[in-house]
Amino acid sequence: MALLELSGLTKRFGAFIALDDISLLIERGEVHCLLGENGAGKSTLCNLVFGVHRPDGGTMTLGGEPFDPRGPAEALQRGVVMVHQHFSLVPTMSVAENLMLGRASAVLKPQDIMVRMEQLAAEYGLEIDPEARIDELSVGERQRVEIIKCLLGDPQLLVLDEPTAVLQPDEIDALLAICRQVALRGKSVILVTHKLGEISRVADRTTVLRQGRIIETVAMDGADIRSLVRSMVGRDVQSAGSVLAAAVDVEGKTPAKPSDAAGPVSPGEAVLQISDLVYRDPHGVPRLDGLSLTVGTGEIVGIAGVEGNGQTELGLILAGLASPSAGAIVVGGTPVAGCTPQEITDAGVGIVPEDRHAVACIRELSVAENLFLGAIGKFSRFGLLDKSARRKAAEAMMRDFDVRASSPDVSMASLSGGNQQKAVLARELSLDPLVFLLAAQPTRGLDVGAIEAVYNRIRAARDDGLGVLLISSELEELMAVSDRIAVIYRGKLVGELAAGSFSREAIGAMMSGHAHV
Amino acid sequence: MVMKNPKLARVAQGARLEFVPLQVLVPVVATLIALGIGLLIIAATGASVLEAIEAFWDGMAGSDFNIGASINRAISLALVGLGFIFASRANLTNVGGEGQIAMGGMFATAAALHGAGGLPLGLAFIVPLAVGTVAGAVWGGLAGFLKAARGTNEVISTLLLSFIALPLVYWSVESFHLLRKPISDVSSLPESAEIPDTTKLPLLFPDNGSPLHIGLLIAAIAVVVVWLVLKHSTLGLRLRAVGLNTTASRRAGMRTSFYVILAMTVSGGLGGLGGAIMILGQQFYLTSDFSSGYGFDGLVVGLLSRGSAVGVVIGALLFGFLRSGSINMEISAHVPSAVVLICQGLIVIVIAGSAILTNRKVTR
Amino acid sequence: MIDEQMAVFIGSGLRLAVPIIFAATGEMLSERAGVLNLSLDGMMLMSAFTAALASWATGSPLIGVAAGVLVATAVAGAQAVLSVTLRANQLVVGIGFNILALGSTTFLYREIFGPLSRDPIPGFAQLNLPWLAHIPVIGSALANQTGLAYVSILMVVVTWLILKYTSFGLAVRAVGEDPRAADKAGISVARTRYLGVLYAGILAGLGGAFMSVADSNTFTENMTKGAGYLAITAVIFGGWNPWYTLAACLLFGFATALQFLVPALQLDVPVALLLLLPYLLALVAIAGFVGKSRQPSALTIPFERGG
Repeated sequence: MALLELSGLTKRFGAFIALDDISLLIERGEVHCLLGENGAGKSTLCNLVFGVHRPDGGTMTLGGEPFDPRGPAEALQRGVVMVHQHFSLVPTMSVAENLMLGRASAVLKPQDIMVRMEQLAAEYGLEIDPEARIDELSVGERQRVEIIKCLLGDPQLLVLDEPTAVLQPDEIDALLAICRQVALRGKSVILVTHKLGEISRVADRTTVLRQGRIIETVAMDGADIRSLVRSMVGRDVQSAGSVLAAAVDVEGKTPAKPSDAAGPVSPGEAVLQISDLVYRDPHGVPRLDGLSLTVGTGEIVGIAGVEGNGQTELGLILAGLASPSAGAIVVGGTPVAGCTPQEITDAGVGIVPEDRHAVACIRELSVAENLFLGAIGKFSRFGLLDKSARRKAAEAMMRDFDVRASSPDVSMASLSGGNQQKAVLARELSLDPLVFLLAAQPTRGLDVGAIEAVYNRIRAARDDGLGVLLISSELEELMAVSDRIAVIYRGKLVGELAAGSFSREAIGAMMSGHAHV
Repeated sequence: MVMKNPKLARVAQGARLEFVPLQVLVPVVATLIALGIGLLIIAATGASVLEAIEAFWDGMAGSDFNIGASINRAISLALVGLGFIFASRANLTNVGGEGQIAMGGMFATAAALHGAGGLPLGLAFIVPLAVGTVAGAVWGGLAGFLKAARGTNEVISTLLLSFIALPLVYWSVESFHLLRKPISDVSSLPESAEIPDTTKLPLLFPDNGSPLHIGLLIAAIAVVVVWLVLKHSTLGLRLRAVGLNTTASRRAGMRTSFYVILAMTVSGGLGGLGGAIMILGQQFYLTSDFSSGYGFDGLVVGLLSRGSAVGVVIGALLFGFLRSGSINMEISAHVPSAVVLICQGLIVIVIAGSAILTNRKVTR
Repeated sequence: MIDEQMAVFIGSGLRLAVPIIFAATGEMLSERAGVLNLSLDGMMLMSAFTAALASWATGSPLIGVAAGVLVATAVAGAQAVLSVTLRANQLVVGIGFNILALGSTTFLYREIFGPLSRDPIPGFAQLNLPWLAHIPVIGSALANQTGLAYVSILMVVVTWLILKYTSFGLAVRAVGEDPRAADKAGISVARTRYLGVLYAGILAGLGGAFMSVADSNTFTENMTKGAGYLAITAVIFGGWNPWYTLAACLLFGFATALQFLVPALQLDVPVALLLLLPYLLALVAIAGFVGKSRQPSALTIPFERGG
């Protein structure tokens, strides 16, 4: 008998149907992968099983009994545990404290937890210092804590939501091995991913979701990876081009160089020169440790690296939102290290920041207001806003950059992520002067159509002679778009590959610190 | 005008039709609930409700004098309320109206008593008004500075600044070397001497005995200016942007600290002006508790208005009349005026509690 | 002579600190759970009045304290509904309750006792613990306190133990730092926060009742005079740590007591300036220290479950 049975599950968020009539069986002792693009409903499905959200229709049974968790607490009680995309650990508390959180006992018993941790270390090889504070741990170690937390209570079902997105290649291997171990002990595992490579290595069966519906469920022995891709994106991957292949990470398929027949303009003089950049966070920990980099006109330089190796800090410094502790940044002859955002903009720098919601736009303001956020005074007379002139200019910009919204007056929040990002690109690429563009994680959370649009914009900017720095955690994206890839590790560049010599293995090795220059 | 057409167009589209009623409904319902409870409380004390209402009405609007006095109260409340919505445009909550009124009133008194009286051409009252405004602005701006420079929560700092301002006023009226009137007078209460006649605000209707003064015009101008700035100016948009998302505003080149300090300075300045008008317009001498309750009233007016300058006018009139009425009710019907405080507290709580209805977030 | 006045000063400083210690200790726990109760002053005022009324009506100060705590807890319950369930702006709600408390206690006081009543109400006697009295200088100040004063120190210890050694304390800390993580660990964020706010209400109630039935044996209009705001500042000043918060409360208590000491020593410092001293200290404290000690990350931020 199946462990978990979903029948006819439906979930709506307002008018948006996130899940539509989902019926699915999860067997005991299997690793079941959920495959789908961003927004296909994978995370929503997990959240229903874990009680974070409640379904609008349909039923679940667990071990043959009705299962309708009103919250995570109830799901945990029934032996369902989940490792979330965003870790659910309290960063200021120790490992042991996090593990004790939510355990039933009036007085804390750290000794009991230590004993159990030792058992798990022996059983699965999950070792970690119980006294360490979470915010001192690496991403991989934090995930290990999450998994220990899940296994403490001897669960029946382990749900992992995109667990590999933040891991280094060797950490991914370890994680997939743990999944198999868990399944071997008769428990079930649901693994959410959009990477086919992982599926073929670990899954017993795979269910493909698209736009909130189940497209197919297949057993993995003898399954055709190509057909899974077709189910996932709804069209044939070859005909859709390298962008899609990049987005889904087809095993063994290294995408060809971007299909720009004209080819990149051969890089000219340097527009961005970073030398010996050092940044220490408020705790004195060096996040950037003597980073040097040059970007020339007409080239796209990609920065590869596992998240948390200084990319975020580099982005903040280039945007003028953090001051470097040492080092120099020169843009087109103007030194900009430690300058205000306005001075950096005046030097000709456009920024597509990593965190769209926190840094790039103000969700509550209208699209027009966001398009001219840095030039509020441009449409004004005697300090009063000339809203109709601004609307006209905004409409023109939205046309040029294909920003789809019913009017420039609707709020930014009402736009899809892709259209928000196009609006941000529109604003930054319309700056005058403009010699350099930073694009940090520019396609995160976007659908495939928007991803293509973003790539095309970035390439067009390069072809117009801009220098572009592309920071991304998606290796395939970097390989598809960059003219040159530099790898960042612990705040330093540890290697560089020129176009034509990109290889996953080489970059992966450098990303995990096995320098290979 | 350029800006009118799009607005009309938007109303015509009905884009906001769903939104407007709740924004208006909530404060109205809150006020009605609170007034209803107020009446129940009066009834519960055994006092005659009719008699109480009659005394209330009489105090509010029983005569030209009472109407004028009620509107005069509303003027100061409106200024504090405008200050509140100005700060809240930048997502700052200025709850220190009382302290800003106190500072404004104290410095206006000082200016009126020491030198301004002899100035020509209306400067005799304009200078004390300006001095009071600056004093309030400094008091508010201090909270803005602490917020910008040290990250100090402005709710706490404006409250504490009020608790600091009130003893300062007390100090000034109990110290002979400061503002206390000489002991040779008949009474020796700790209060200042009366300000010179030239520094008193001119009356609008000197003939019919109404105390209504030109503060009304000043407040009207302030309402229009604040409305223009908040709704239609580049400054208003920048304040809003900074309030909604500091990081994104910084990235867009705005000096966010400057706007935080500016918003609090203007907010405090409006409160200070309100305090100065209270002294120069109706009280004419400084007492240690002249500002008592006006800060809370102004805060409630600001909250009720939901950020609209017109709303501030309505709320200020409501509370101006309520306050006059409640004082008379206490005197003639022996119902403690604190019942109005109860109503105000309820209004704040109901409005804050219904934010979940009006500010519903878009999920995903 | 000087010794005697120092003893009086220390005694009154301690007495003035006690209500703040109660309120601040409860508030600290509530803030660790992520809820700031600006209504603390209102809770104290309501409790002070209710305790006075109940003690006057029954002749038992103990019943008075119980009644005061009950009312303050009810206010806390309402604050919790608004700030946890309805996700209202915690600061604005708090101010609303303070206005309501001021209005209703003033109103009821005038209705029940009349505007000029200063009849003493039954209160607690001082304990006069002989073994404490032998300590030089501060001994008599420590010994001549009512039982409630010692309870306030006991509550600091209890609160410290709760936070450090119990599951509830761990849940409180988690909910205040990262409610999403706590929720996913199976902790009810709402329940934890409700309990935190109610705990603050109980302690604020004890502090308010102390003012009327243990300290002054009377009620006066607006008798808390902003003690609740001082308590909140003490929590910030104390960096959300029970012992440092206690120290901040004592500092505020002694700063307030200076207004009795300074005239007694015939120093020429205006009393008005001494009145503002605790608030000035509080302002300097939050302006200077809040950046350095980390506040609970989710303080004043309502929790809403989301994907």
